[in-house]
Amino acid sequence: MLLRASGRTYDRTYDLAAVTGAADSAGGVPEGDQLVAFAEAVLGEDDAALAWARNALAAALGSPGLVDAAGVVGLFNAIDRVADATGIPLEPEKAAASADFRAALDLDRFAVADRI
Amino acid sequence: MTDLYASTPFPIRDDLTAAHARAWARIARPGTWWDGAARVAIAAETRLAPSCALCRRRKEALSPLAIEGTHDSHSQLPEIVVEVVHRLRTDPGRLGERWYRGIVAHGLTEEQYVEIVSVVAHTVAIDTMARGLGLEVLPLPDPKPGSPSHYRPTGAKPGGAWVPWVEPADAGEVEAGIYPRDRLPANIMKAMSLVPAEVRSFFDLVTHQYLPGEVMRDFAREYRAISHAQIELLAARVSALNRCLY
Repeated sequence: MLLRASGRTYDRTYDLAAVTGAADSAGGVPEGDQLVAFAEAVLGEDDAALAWARNALAAALGSPGLVDAAGVVGLFNAIDRVADATGIPLEPEKAAASADFRAALDLDRFAVADRI
Repeated sequence: MTDLYASTPFPIRDDLTAAHARAWARIARPGTWWDGAARVAIAAETRLAPSCALCRRRKEALSPLAIEGTHDSHSQLPEIVVEVVHRLRTDPGRLGERWYRGIVAHGLTEEQYVEIVSVVAHTVAIDTMARGLGLEVLPLPDPKPGSPSHYRPTGAKPGGAWVPWVEPADAGEVEAGIYPRDRLPANIMKAMSLVPAEVRSFFDLVTHQYLPGEVMRDFAREYRAISHAQIELLAARVSALNRCLY
């Protein structure tokens, strides 16, 4: 949702399908391909792929960009666990604002309410 | 602890290094429901979980609840704690309320559970960043002596989550400042409010490893070496990979 809001500030429309990996590219975000590849590699188990993705991202963004990207990946890998483990629902205003792309991308299959 | 990342190939911001040092120091100290030794053991167990054979079998199964067995663990933590830590670490996207209710029915209190969630989350945040940068994980801190405070907010009550939480209007003196004053807190802030010290600690990490709350929506200005759009693309892709709707 913040990705879409960020795009609106600069009158850009990002392809949100990049988030689920359903798009061919990273949705129009600068260096998005490298960022997505990096996030996937950090959460994956292929160390060689991670080394490649890390080098590619460092070449594209420099060391400070790589460090901040690694921080964000780490932080959201943790926030997701807090959300999933406590069973918090999506706030009504966020649910309403994201209804269209949740439906388009079938994101509601991840809802905690549906899990046993 | 201040030169935590002194020998890394990539310069790490001083404020981020300091936030990690604070988080590590807090893990070592007695918490609200667990002492320092247990908290450090929970962090250690978080690191062991990915190599647990039972967790791997469950991860591959259609339903993790269908696979029984014993976790690979080297700690003295009770089995129920190990189960929570391992599930949280290895398969968070399939945690369900029935599983949570079973954990509580088997003797873990809701407060103890929330503190475990927090320690696992701190450890995952810091260790995942290290993996991203190709760094060795930080050595775990030495536990500090002392007893947990056993503080439970009087205003905590069932809300929209599985765990009880504290609404802003019910926050007492001890909870003062855990929520922003100028806007309603997001549910992710209320999620661990049953143990207010953990909200403070985790959001200290959020502020430095992601963004401070007051600038998350300030899209007109950039605060990091990557833009808001780049940050949010990463955040959203990670959450999709973790199958987390929130």
